[in-house]
Amino acid sequence: MKAYTIKRLLSLLPVLLVVAVVVFFLIHLAPGDPAAVMLGPDASPQDVENLREQLGLNLPLYQQFIAWFSGVLVGDLGMSIYMNQPVLDVFLDRVGPTLSLAILAQGISIIIAIPFGIIAARKRGTLTDQGFMVFAMLGVSVPSFLLGLLLMLLFGVYLGWLPIAGYSPLSEGVWSHLQYMILPAISLGAIQAALIARMTRSSMLDILSTNYIKTAHAKGVKERLVIYKHALRNAFIPILTVLGQTFGTLVAGAVVTETVFNLPGIGQLIVQSIVRRDYAVIQGTILIIAASYVLINLIVDLLYGAVDPRVRFNKK
Amino acid sequence: MKRKHFGFFILLVILSVGLIACNSDSPAVDNETDAAGANNNAGNNTEELGEAGGTINVAYLAQPGTLDPHTTTANATRDPAKLIFETLLALNENFEVTPMLAEDYEVSEDGKTITFELREGIKFHNGDEMTSEDVVASMTKWSETSFAQSNIGEHEWVAVDDHTVELHIEEASFIVLHILAEPGQFAAIMPAGVVESAEATGVSEYIGTGPFALENWRHDQYMHFVKFDDYQSREEPASGNAGAKEVLVDEVYYHFVPDESTRINGLLSGEYDFSHMLPYDGIPQLDADPSINVDIWPFGPQTLVFNKEGMFGDVNLRRAVNHALNKEDVLTAAFTNSEFYEAGPSLFMEDQVDWFTNAGEELYDTNDMDRAQEYLDAAGYDGEEVVILTSRDYPHHYNSAVATQQALENLGMNTKLDVYDWATLLDRRADKDAYDIFYTGFTVMATPHQYTFLDSRTEWPGWTNNPAFDELLDEIKLAQDQEEAKEIYEELQQELWEDLPVINVGKSLRVSAYGDHVKGYTDFMGPNFWNVTVE
Repeated sequence: MKAYTIKRLLSLLPVLLVVAVVVFFLIHLAPGDPAAVMLGPDASPQDVENLREQLGLNLPLYQQFIAWFSGVLVGDLGMSIYMNQPVLDVFLDRVGPTLSLAILAQGISIIIAIPFGIIAARKRGTLTDQGFMVFAMLGVSVPSFLLGLLLMLLFGVYLGWLPIAGYSPLSEGVWSHLQYMILPAISLGAIQAALIARMTRSSMLDILSTNYIKTAHAKGVKERLVIYKHALRNAFIPILTVLGQTFGTLVAGAVVTETVFNLPGIGQLIVQSIVRRDYAVIQGTILIIAASYVLINLIVDLLYGAVDPRVRFNKK
Repeated sequence: MKRKHFGFFILLVILSVGLIACNSDSPAVDNETDAAGANNNAGNNTEELGEAGGTINVAYLAQPGTLDPHTTTANATRDPAKLIFETLLALNENFEVTPMLAEDYEVSEDGKTITFELREGIKFHNGDEMTSEDVVASMTKWSETSFAQSNIGEHEWVAVDDHTVELHIEEASFIVLHILAEPGQFAAIMPAGVVESAEATGVSEYIGTGPFALENWRHDQYMHFVKFDDYQSREEPASGNAGAKEVLVDEVYYHFVPDESTRINGLLSGEYDFSHMLPYDGIPQLDADPSINVDIWPFGPQTLVFNKEGMFGDVNLRRAVNHALNKEDVLTAAFTNSEFYEAGPSLFMEDQVDWFTNAGEELYDTNDMDRAQEYLDAAGYDGEEVVILTSRDYPHHYNSAVATQQALENLGMNTKLDVYDWATLLDRRADKDAYDIFYTGFTVMATPHQYTFLDSRTEWPGWTNNPAFDELLDEIKLAQDQEEAKEIYEELQQELWEDLPVINVGKSLRVSAYGDHVKGYTDFMGPNFWNVTVE
């Protein structure tokens, strides 16, 4: 297992090289000029040109790439043109809100989805099952910004229970942090819950119809034990896969939710950096996210072994 | 491994989609030329103020790249920067030049030397006293911008003694004082030490003499300003950006809230005390709440810019478009109803009596398809494709472009709408071969010279190529008094409507709103949070 982990970690390097090359050239070949964005639309072409020169944007692309990538190899992701800060600092500033949002949203989705999925599977074909699945279908269909705005109107504007937007870091108090995170986490988590509930239901249905479950029932094993010990554990592999994927999506793709609730997270950072053509931030952030994807996938693969002994990695 | 590939695929899709169609409602960079000019809420608000103290929370459209006002024309820089920095001269609500950090100024007889007596005892936020060394260092840095060079020409700043500074100009110019008082890309005074450490993108320490000091800037979240206890206000009544600035609130937060619905909801919920740049369709919701004050302020000319290096180098074709274009239709498409725009041929607001004129009125909104057809025939138009460049990042520009496309189609022209994100549009509009028309907004300016499209020497996109404009602009600089300057400007505005390097469709108004617990609020070329209380 150690060898497997090392091998997987080493495979990260060529993957990151490819991502670095593709992202760098994609963003640099796209139209748009960070100097023009910085200086505003009234700026004279001469001022824009001077700034381009000073920022090194007039150098040949390959030279810019070499300069940037040689920095990356020693852990220097470059400087944000727009924020005049090291990219790593910018990223670390944003990772808190995003991770917190992802963990809370994932937690909410698991709390809602797994019991719903199990109940729906156990009561297959009943009104409860259909009711839950209609609910799940609604969850998948409602855009997160709409759910976010509705929650904001209800809990923020009309009831005044929670702040409607912004962010308070964990260091300023757990409750203050949670106050800002609850609504975005629910609006994001509810949508993920719908997906996970559907996956849980179908996976549980597959397992519940297998012979060993029937045997367990025949042996008189308690229903609760059959469901949670025998069935759920075996049904969990596909659920875990979905959880891994949704967590990755939550980390990189909560752009809309972050924008609506004005959370200074990674998704918002990427979109705003694209708008600003802040090349170094886009490149650095995408590179880190790519590495995170590989790591999350690796962790999920290793967790398979924890859930299902048959797929444990043996020393051979 | 397949999952991993899927992950990368998603990443690249996110990136590509972002690049190709980055169409957020509210861009992360508010550098469209939008700004307030004179308006009903400018100057000295006489309503009864509340008690001093407290915090005002402002929801603002976008974060600037820098707070150094020397370096950029972006309003996202100007608005928060004017809390921190001040200038030697400022404009009052009638757009008149008024001393600010200067105690007084004197123009020599030949107009080539302007002597500024500085106010004594003015402190920077770092506790140092402002001297002529700081002023010369700051003004020399500002002088390096094209904005200063093109408007003032060759010039030099010289310290005479600790509190006297001279500006030596190679050629006398009527507009110099206005340029020094202009709030866009403004001539902020900073400590000499800060100026010396400036980089290409501007200074990295934001220390001024203004009523508020920058305490903290959390990128893409907020800027936190605190009351500057040693601030020395002028004693004249507050007016525009001039006069007394009493610092009544303890703290000002500029929260960066790109989503316009969130700016409205935050105001309604009390999270924000003031929300800037709100969508027109959100106004009824705000009007329905009696505790909210809606402030409608002038923004500036909504302008159709022709690329004179392409087919629109032919003035007949430009005139055809002007006669075919129903200005009211375009303004309604862009700004929803007449409450939010002002039709008329002038580049200046009516309050700007120094420059306001209706010259060219007979050519403004003719909506005469027969004349349009005559000009089209005279130009020998033969179905060539007219490319209209636009961006959904600013819905009013997009809607103006769509209405224009329809008008040109009605005239029988073959048109194509090229829609990009704002950064791409800025890039493409600098390419002479990439388009024929684009829309942009211009700030209400203090002088005609700041409308960059008038002067062919600026090489600004659209590439105006009429030497008559350059000559008239130079003549205004040499005018002996305002009356003479205005006469020449009237001629220039008439020529603007004859030659049409751009079509000034009309002036748009914009909307901000604040809770009725905010007292004394004024705006003048951006919101002012001095002389304001919040309960």
